[in-house]
Formats: sequence, C-alpha cells, structure tokens
Amino acid sequence: MERLDFLRELGNIGIGHATTALSEMLQGKLLRLVVPDARILPFEEAAAYIGGLDEIVAGIFMQISGDVTGHMAFILPIESARTLVELLTQRHGTDEEIFDELGRSALEEIGNIMITSYLNALSALTDLVMSPSIPALAIDMAGAVWESVLAGALVDEAVTIIRTDFSADGVDIGGNIVLLPDEEEFQKIEHALGLEDF
Amino acid sequence: MEEVFVNMGEIRALARTGVLTTVGLGSCVGVALYDSVAQVGVMGHVFLPTARRRNETVDMPGKYADTAIPALIDEAVRLGAQKRRLWAKLAGGANLFPNLTTSNGNIGSQNIKAVLENLALHDIPVVGQDVSGSHGRKMRFFVEDGRVTVTAIGKEPIDI
Repeated sequence: MERLDFLRELGNIGIGHATTALSEMLQGKLLRLVVPDARILPFEEAAAYIGGLDEIVAGIFMQISGDVTGHMAFILPIESARTLVELLTQRHGTDEEIFDELGRSALEEIGNIMITSYLNALSALTDLVMSPSIPALAIDMAGAVWESVLAGALVDEAVTIIRTDFSADGVDIGGNIVLLPDEEEFQKIEHALGLEDF
Repeated sequence: MEEVFVNMGEIRALARTGVLTTVGLGSCVGVALYDSVAQVGVMGHVFLPTARRRNETVDMPGKYADTAIPALIDEAVRLGAQKRRLWAKLAGGANLFPNLTTSNGNIGSQNIKAVLENLALHDIPVVGQDVSGSHGRKMRFFVEDGRVTVTAIGKEPIDI
C-alpha cells in the first residue's frame, strides 16, 4: 500500500464517521456524496491548490497530542460553512447574523466533529493514541487562513490534504482536511502501518 | 498596469511601474523594500522566522526571515537599487487563532520580530507598517511611487 492509498482509505473511513455524526446532529439531512481525494503537495504548489486567495473561508484548527503529535485543520468555503450552520441552528440571515457567537460555536463544533472523525479513523488504523485540543475558528481570506494553519504547525515542506465533499439537505458541501504531523511524526504512522517511504 | 502576485515564500521585483501584490497574509509578513531614486521595488512573503534545516533555504530563501531579507536586498540591488537608499514597509504577522495556545507559540509575532531584527542588521529603516491583530490582509505595493496599501475583509484600503 502506498501513502496516497492509505490517505484515501483514511479519507473513506473518516468521512464515514463524520457523516454519521453530523447526520445525527442534523437529523438525517446529510448524505455522503463523493469518494475523498487525497494529495500530498510540495510547499510551492500549496498556493495554487488553495486557489482564490482572497475568497473567504472558515478554518477550524486543533493541536493533536498523544503517541503522534501535530495539528489538524478543516477548511471550507464560507458558503459551505453557512449552509451547515443554518441547518444546525435553524436560522437564516446575513453572514454577520449567521456567524455570531452561536453560529461560530456551532461551526467550531462541526469542525471538531470532522477533525476528530478523521483522527479516530487514524487512531483505529494505526493503534496509536491521539487526542485533539479544543477547536479554534477563523473566518478570513483563504490565503491568510491556510498560511496561518501551515505556519502554526511549522509545516514548511509537504502538505497533506484530504478533500471531503458531501451534501447536506441537497446542498453540496466542499472542504479540506489538512493533516499536519510534527516533523518525524509521520514515521510513527508509517511504522505502525508497516508502510515504507511514508 | 502590470500586477505581479507574491505567494508564500516567494520574492518578486519590479522597476519603474506595476504593482506587487500579496493576497491573504495571515501569520506571514509581507515585506516591501523600495529605492525611490531608482524606482525599484521588491516584495517578499515571509512564512517563518528561520529554517529548521539549513538546506531548506537554498530553493526558497524568501520563506524565512533570516534568509529573505538579504535575498530581497540582493534582488533590489540587481535591478539597480542602492542598499543605503532602501526603506521597508511591512504588513501581516497576525494571529488568526488567538484562542488556541499551541506549543509553537504565536508565529505571527515571531515573524514580525525576526523581520525587524534582520532589517536592523542591514540598517534598513521601517517607514510604514500594519501588523499584528487577528485578521488577514491584502498588501499592494505600487512601484512607481512606493505607495503601499493594506486591505482587510470588509474594510477600505489604508495607506501605510
């Protein structure tokens, strides 16, 4: 098994856990749609992948501790964030009204569920213990959120991304899970999986 | 007017006319160096204070403050600027996740500190800045006259 195969497998299991958990929160309005795509980007290509650097995104960022240390993030377009928060809070309005204190904490909880779903999948696959910190949220320019996540995790070489697409109540939700293990920590995952060159 | 975008870790330069633009500065620091006589401008998009491994800096000196500042100066001089005439303007160095205290600390403020220290080492004065806080910024550097504007979401651009 190669590392991308492993990441896709992780993506499949992770999105399975995440949609189950979110469906319960959203009273069954969530459907899994797309098989996740995983990629490992060189740093230089990260900006091109991110695309519209001044479009607004929501980013939820957490620190990971335990057998493997590092960070994880869930980054999604503002429209997807808005759809999820509207479904969860049963409210509608302007961005300012939707992303008030209640809306922001709902979004943090959604990010928490997404990230811990993937983290639990990773734990189960590797038999390594990993636990997340409380989630932190930023709603800002895509470029600013992405670079703050990468720099905050001190990741300056390759960036591991799992795309997560699903639909909620008939609306497409796009997003990215970003895996940011500390330096050398990926080797522990590799070792646990019996993978080479991870 | 030509607009050249400066992504994470990159260094770009223009002479006489055009705009150097950095979109979406978060914890990174946008550094503009200018020689008004030569009308030469260079811009960097500094990602971290320093490299953890020395060989990292070979491909992309602009990624780290300690290698970016000398590389920016070299690039300006290559285009006809004189080092003693250069000044700097800075934007960015924010902390977008102020509620998350991590073991790596506040990268934005570490970046600002490192950029200021390295500019001081080369006696380059900082004549304008819009740094820190917890929001992203867009920075545009007009090479014709050295004007730099900074924009945050939902705000009018400000001159620094």
